[in-house]
Amino acid sequence: MRRLRITVAFATIFASLFGGMAAAYALGGWLESTWFKGASALSNLLMLMLVFVMVFATLLVMAERKWSALMQNRTGPNRARINLPGLRSRSLAGLPYLIADTVKMLAKESFTPKAANRFFYALAPILAFGPVFTLFAVIPAGPTIPVLGHEVAMVVANPNFGLLYIFALASLAVFGAALAGWASNNKFSLLGAIRACAQMISYEIALGLSLVGLMMAFASIQLAGPAGIMEQQSQYLWSAQLGGFDVGIPAWGILLQPVGFLLFFAAAFAETKRPPFDMTECESEIIGYFVEYSGMRFGMFMIAEFVEIIVFSGIITTLFLGGYHLPFGGEWFAKLAFFKEHPWVYGATMGMVFWLKVVVVTYIQMNIRWTFVRFRYDQIQKLGWKILIPLGIVNIFVTGALLLWDKNSLGLLGLIGLFEMAFILILMLSSPKSSLYKPLKAEPLPSHH
Amino acid sequence: MAPHGLEPHAHDENPLDTDFGIQPMLVNMGPSHPATHGTVRLKVALHGENIQDCDVEIGFLHRGFQKSCENVTWAQCLPYTDRLNYVSPMMNNFGFLSAVEKLAGIEIPERAKYIRVIGAELHRIHDHLVATAATAMEIGGLTVFLYAVEARELIMERVTELTGARLTTSYGRIGGLNRDIPDGWKDKVLRTLDCVRSAANEIDGLLTRNRIFMDRTVGTGYLSPEDALDFGFTGPCLRACGIGLDIRKARPYWAYPELDFEVPIFHACDNFDRYRIRMEEMFQSDRLIRQALEKLPGGPVLIDDWRFALPPQETVLSSIEGAIAHFKLIMEGAQIPAGEVYHATESSNGELGWYLRSDGSGRPYKVHIRAPGFQILSALSKMVKGKLLSDLIPTFDTINMIGGEVEQ
Repeated sequence: MRRLRITVAFATIFASLFGGMAAAYALGGWLESTWFKGASALSNLLMLMLVFVMVFATLLVMAERKWSALMQNRTGPNRARINLPGLRSRSLAGLPYLIADTVKMLAKESFTPKAANRFFYALAPILAFGPVFTLFAVIPAGPTIPVLGHEVAMVVANPNFGLLYIFALASLAVFGAALAGWASNNKFSLLGAIRACAQMISYEIALGLSLVGLMMAFASIQLAGPAGIMEQQSQYLWSAQLGGFDVGIPAWGILLQPVGFLLFFAAAFAETKRPPFDMTECESEIIGYFVEYSGMRFGMFMIAEFVEIIVFSGIITTLFLGGYHLPFGGEWFAKLAFFKEHPWVYGATMGMVFWLKVVVVTYIQMNIRWTFVRFRYDQIQKLGWKILIPLGIVNIFVTGALLLWDKNSLGLLGLIGLFEMAFILILMLSSPKSSLYKPLKAEPLPSHH
Repeated sequence: MAPHGLEPHAHDENPLDTDFGIQPMLVNMGPSHPATHGTVRLKVALHGENIQDCDVEIGFLHRGFQKSCENVTWAQCLPYTDRLNYVSPMMNNFGFLSAVEKLAGIEIPERAKYIRVIGAELHRIHDHLVATAATAMEIGGLTVFLYAVEARELIMERVTELTGARLTTSYGRIGGLNRDIPDGWKDKVLRTLDCVRSAANEIDGLLTRNRIFMDRTVGTGYLSPEDALDFGFTGPCLRACGIGLDIRKARPYWAYPELDFEVPIFHACDNFDRYRIRMEEMFQSDRLIRQALEKLPGGPVLIDDWRFALPPQETVLSSIEGAIAHFKLIMEGAQIPAGEVYHATESSNGELGWYLRSDGSGRPYKVHIRAPGFQILSALSKMVKGKLLSDLIPTFDTINMIGGEVEQ
């Protein structure tokens, strides 16, 4: 019974991702054929950003509670019920909380402190939400395939400065936090805003440096398109053919740039302002830059945080985990006769792969968030300036040297990357499991006389 | 805390050193602030993120404990003591009773001594779990907190089975205990201890070698051993300063002399060592409970002296002497001989001292407690001055200030 339920749940997830992507392709093809060439960008805007990212962010509110409950030996939210026949006594995996939360946010008074700067106070949530939301525009969520005789690309925009767009907009998000803290006219929120500024600006640099190696390896800063970073990851470093089925080690960013991946992951985590980097929030200390906000304005900050997680997971998937590409068998899969006849099935399947990778990266982020305690203000700066940035620079030089050495392929880079990964793995496994001090484990009772 | 130099000094030699009259930012942490559990107000003067001054203000939880005790009989004081350290009420109960018994010259039965050790040590684990959990939670480790709370809940259940209440235990009576341990309780406690130990191991795994946790706690909240002695530190906070004072060893009471345990000592005087000492003490308490349960002697749990202890119910109902003793004990209270006494027990946060004065009537003339948290809290200001605001949080947590006993 339990197995059946799990199977059904997973099938539902797969089916809805597949269906969503199929609908996105269909809508794009229909718009292309009925409206004008390039109209699919509009449908992508609607389907990818407003439907997929927003639904993911909303579900993530619930998923975070459930996943944290999973880690903490709790059941998680199960009290909100829908009073309809058949649903009355069911917790529905906590999904009614989404409705309850939304109603609460919308119905609560949106309070403005008397001494606040009203204009900036109202502007801050928008500035916090807007930039992170627009980040997703350059992320390709599926391959370009012909639908109804028109080529449909599953990306809102594909500028050749894709990565720079991400850096530029990601750094705008700091305005939301800074303005919120300053405009509330509250000492705690001001402290939070100052911390947010310092943290986000210093981690911008680490964020940028960590990707330079990747840009050099793929000689591109475009994300989608045939020359884009995503498409280049479909090639193999070393491959073999097993009766038409291709296996090998793919040229994924994580294999070419493991150090870059770790740096980017850490910096992106800091950009999302989530624990262990939640110096700006620190609910037990300064309560956060949004301490004065209530109602939907607070909701904007919250949803911005969750959208940011999804968007950064999307970026990590695109840059380091091969986007919508399968690790092996991709060529074989694309050549299947069925997919040749029905390219939209191929597109939707690949889109599903992309979103599944996003979910996995999000899950890793959640695990980290619920495992670690938070840094201190100065330690976060130390980590950024003294560890991440120098490592990023070293990574650039090493990558550059390896690329010069082996000019024709990425093989050497991949080999060193694998060594680096093995080294990191050994480092992780060799660290002491328990305390260095007296272990807290059972001792035999002393015999009494 | 007066704002210094409001006027810029125009004639400074180096223009970069010009004092622009920067005023500290006064931030009010508490009495209603997520970190100041126990309702205490910290008036913090900040220069940037650095604490220039920290003024601790208590009194929000003052309940007039000492005065209340003077108006009730000795036995009726017992429920008030539950609320002193509300994380380990049994220690307060037994500490008070021991002081009264010392004043009256009563020797309690062997079995009662062992059960008191078991109860006190259960609550020591409970208190340390809560302190550790709160420390972790305040610096962001909610998972650790919930692991600890899960283990704490098991102890709560055992305590409820033993005393009938989760918090307001009021367990024990002058001359022993009001009831014996329930049937099958021993095995349940042993199983609980196993669970608590595995939870403590989980917490240990999540925190002790956690780089971020160490960064937050190692070297922060430092107070030198000399200062610790001057301030009157006792208990885990003193033992984290390398001074191994433990009243269970120094002036043994109850069944402690017959039980084998160690007093863990650490030397760094910082938050990390205060955390570690609590983890080690939980382990020692675990050992103590296991030994005490194994060695638990038979016999009564209450003395058979009707001047101080209530007679058995059937005696009250069937004999005139019993009825009179019962009536006098309830209406007038136990007649504790006139005199004064100071008696201290090692509670979870340190020396819980009781100064009692009796005028020979059934009610206390004076009850004063030396709560360990008061002296420790008074050093908080010195511990955090000049440090970062973020250091205040783990420091406040590892000293484990309990509002109930500090403010009485």
